[in-house]
Amino acid sequence: MKRTVDVSFPVGPVHPCWKEPARVKCETRGEYVVSAEVELGYMKKGIERIMKGRPWQEVMFLAERVCGICSVIHNMVFIEALEHISGIDVPRRAALLRVIVNELDRMQSHLLANFSYCYTIEHETLAMYLLDVREKVMDQLERITGARVTCAYIVPGGVRFDLRPEDAQALRLSLSAIGEEVMRYTDMFANGPLIALRSRGIGILTKEAAREAYAVGPTARASGLGDIDRRLRHPTYQSLGFSPIVRTEGDNYARIMVRFQEIAQSIGLIQKCLDELPAGPIRGGGIPGAGEIAYSMEAPRGELTYFVRTDAAGRVLEISIQTPSIMNIEACCHYMLTGVSSLADVTSTFVSSDPCIACTER
Amino acid sequence: MKEALYEKDLTAMKYAILESRRHDRMVREIAADLGISHLLLRRYLMENLDMLLLENLPARYEQGKKFQESLPEVERALSSHLYTRAVPLVGERVMDAIVAETKGKVAAGVPLSEAVSVGKAMIRQVILR
Repeated sequence: MKRTVDVSFPVGPVHPCWKEPARVKCETRGEYVVSAEVELGYMKKGIERIMKGRPWQEVMFLAERVCGICSVIHNMVFIEALEHISGIDVPRRAALLRVIVNELDRMQSHLLANFSYCYTIEHETLAMYLLDVREKVMDQLERITGARVTCAYIVPGGVRFDLRPEDAQALRLSLSAIGEEVMRYTDMFANGPLIALRSRGIGILTKEAAREAYAVGPTARASGLGDIDRRLRHPTYQSLGFSPIVRTEGDNYARIMVRFQEIAQSIGLIQKCLDELPAGPIRGGGIPGAGEIAYSMEAPRGELTYFVRTDAAGRVLEISIQTPSIMNIEACCHYMLTGVSSLADVTSTFVSSDPCIACTER
Repeated sequence: MKEALYEKDLTAMKYAILESRRHDRMVREIAADLGISHLLLRRYLMENLDMLLLENLPARYEQGKKFQESLPEVERALSSHLYTRAVPLVGERVMDAIVAETKGKVAAGVPLSEAVSVGKAMIRQVILR
């Protein structure tokens, strides 16, 4: 819809601070942002259409390719949806290994999101430190699954590879080092005066607005919504005594701090999994069959839902993917950006919601 | 005619979004509730909402339906919150006026179903205008 306004300020589709192309059109009154609108369509993959009619063995690889940053959770949600359809049980050891890999994926995704934010507000030193830590997390992901991205680690009834004792030991040592570094960088972020100036009280998303836009993940948890974390309803996470991290400020600062705190929480969850890891099989067997389900799980950016319908041979007849970035970018553009007092804060506010255009456009 | 760089016609992409299974189901449900053609409603959504809001509509719709259950009788029957905040079809001031008029009719002794159907006709007029 075209309208005549005082100043229409387009940001993107190509912007140095953004990882992927999207166009945000801000309508401004001087520096004040009156409203914002988003145009997509610069990287549409049409992956749902490619998936339709294919056997699950092919779709599980396609699912990972929806997003390169949080590929593990796409693999996990699709496979767990098939398991729920077909009543396939997962051995305890495999369930805990899934949590380990999923939390490593969450850590690297959060580190990348916080890197992007620090880079956007011109704190490049902290940004590069975070990117360095992310590499260490990626190394651990590779150690367990054999790949940094698109790991295809989770299969119906279990996982692909076991965790050897020497790898478990190396993972523990690495997590301890990563934990210390993350604590130091969290402190740098939490107490940096420049960071506070660019982050506190900026891009506020109220609890009511977060609920209305159905914001999810750290974006919603930074606005006081804790009950939306899907890990609360996942049996393995329930057995680990998981409870979500919630803040109430609702600004850019809170969203980044929630991610920092969740990295520390993920380290704790992985250590708990390693402590409780029982001996036993990592694959219980089972063949996906016919059925229909809407299955959700907590991706690094929030609730990820797969609507899947399969036939008796496990072929995917219908599939629809609701990624968390759809809700979060919408909440960002229609609530956080509206009322931002300076155009200089548009990019940092947009990045603080951890937008993933690849997920949004599927 | 001069056109700004990147100012594209988004109709085809917006249509592709609304054509997906979940979006289509939502559009048909709303169209049936308001008694209008789903094609007209789809065109109204494409003309008035941006791409990202269109993408997020099914999630907002589901959330709006849940929230609606906690509203008073007339608001719930007219889906006032659903059609203003969750799926923004009607402006809030316009909806407030429709709700007030419906409440007035109910208070004057008109049966609720009749008053609500008149209210929905008013919503329909706003969309079809």
